[in-house]
Amino acid sequence: MESPLLEIKDIVVSYGSIQALWGVSVSVKKGSIVSLVGANGAGKSTLLKTVAGMNRPREGSIFFSGKPLMGLKAEEVVNEGISLVPEGRRLFARLTVKENLELGAYIPRARPFMQESLEWAYDLFPVLKKRSGQVAGSLSGGEQQMLAIARSMMSRPSILMLDEPSLGLGPLVVKVMFELIEGLNRKGVTILLVEQNVYQALRVSHYAYVMKTGAIALEGPAESLLDKPEVQSAYLGALE
Amino acid sequence: MLEYLTAGLLLQLLINGILFGTTYGLAAIGLSLVFGTMRIIFLSQGAVIILMAYLCYWLFKLVGIDPYLSTILLAPVAMALGSGLYQLLFRKAVRMEDKNISLLIAVGLMFLLENSMAVVWTPNPRSISTTYTSSSFTVLGLDISFTRLMGFIMAVLATFGVTFFLKRTLVGKAVRAASEDLEATTLVGISPHRVNTVAFALGIGLTGIAGIALSTTYPFDPYFGFVFSLKAMIALALGGLGSVSGALLGGIILGVLESWAAFFVSGGWADAISYGVFLVVLLFRPEGLLVRTIKKA
Repeated sequence: MESPLLEIKDIVVSYGSIQALWGVSVSVKKGSIVSLVGANGAGKSTLLKTVAGMNRPREGSIFFSGKPLMGLKAEEVVNEGISLVPEGRRLFARLTVKENLELGAYIPRARPFMQESLEWAYDLFPVLKKRSGQVAGSLSGGEQQMLAIARSMMSRPSILMLDEPSLGLGPLVVKVMFELIEGLNRKGVTILLVEQNVYQALRVSHYAYVMKTGAIALEGPAESLLDKPEVQSAYLGALE
Repeated sequence: MLEYLTAGLLLQLLINGILFGTTYGLAAIGLSLVFGTMRIIFLSQGAVIILMAYLCYWLFKLVGIDPYLSTILLAPVAMALGSGLYQLLFRKAVRMEDKNISLLIAVGLMFLLENSMAVVWTPNPRSISTTYTSSSFTVLGLDISFTRLMGFIMAVLATFGVTFFLKRTLVGKAVRAASEDLEATTLVGISPHRVNTVAFALGIGLTGIAGIALSTTYPFDPYFGFVFSLKAMIALALGGLGSVSGALLGGIILGVLESWAAFFVSGGWADAISYGVFLVVLLFRPEGLLVRTIKKA
């Protein structure tokens, strides 16, 4: 059996005295889209940040292509081939679109291909080429999300982690965003997706995990989860 | 006094202010770079400028190196000092939530430098006297001091250099990005410590040039640096954080303000007026007079 590209095993994360993740295990196969869905505060973003090296787990292990990632700093994780598009995009608002993209290729592994990657990004998002000299803060919400994804792709990651990419976007733009995610996957990019837009996320994913209060409540092929009452219950968890 | 007032005199005061204000501007750019990425108010900036002024003085007195020629030595020395200070004193402190620790380190460093300089060079004022230090020339009826003009040229060149570095090189862009969102830079693979080291080296590197400009223009003593740091902060408040040219322009505005205040009110009131303006700007336009606000992405 093919070993997973990303393997998260029994991760425990605490913020001070508050435990956010309780032994979470997630596995992502190469070439797949895997979704983490669940209500606000379920621990989805915490898990992505932990993989990205922004949180230090108390227990557990993370392997990427069989190599342990534990203890690596965020900037080192990027160099390994994992890129996070964070919630809220975290673009550099005063830098131009082009400068944001160039910084996406900052790591030594990606730097020699910067021009090639820029052309690739402009092909994928022609609007970014049109706005390349504009400061990122002046773009619309949808354009900013495209820029955030393009910036992450500039590092030529093996796996792209997207944290709430549809947050704050209008319905039409959300549709485009999910088409884009599928498109990237067809180009061979493995995707780990965190979404509150559960039905859209499950529709594009191959496999999914439902998170509830810091633990995995349910997992399975995404299609099989669409009608499960537990999925709804995970979202209504706060009201239970 | 007003009977002596002519357009020529006003213009002369303006030119004097512009020429010296660029030295404030240089110090302000340094402060801006360090504050931008690390949120540290580097209050020892002025003391380092005075240290560079003393080194320039020594190179001139002991080795006979022309003050302006010593730029090629002092700018790299200041840069190395900057990265050394970061690694030694601030690397750990910037990771702490409490920024007061960094401020206290900067204040401690200032006292350490001031007292060390007083021991080595005595508290008596020093000045550099060359064949050209008191020379001046006349352009369109305006008296231009050679050393002030040189200080101005060096400051403008240094500002161009820093701007070019920040706008055109990838590391420079990383420094600008870090001044917006240091944590987000790690997500694209930028090491915060590398960026901080570069910002410190660049910011303190400018003290090498400011020290030369100061030492050739004014007598200086070990304790003059604190006032200079405060003036740089005023220039920064006027120009606004995050803009290199804004900081230089802030320095020029301050220089002109002081020049006019010294003439129209008195030399003693010039400083008080500068600090008054500082407070007014902080109260009514804390983002700076010359900064356009851009919404956060």
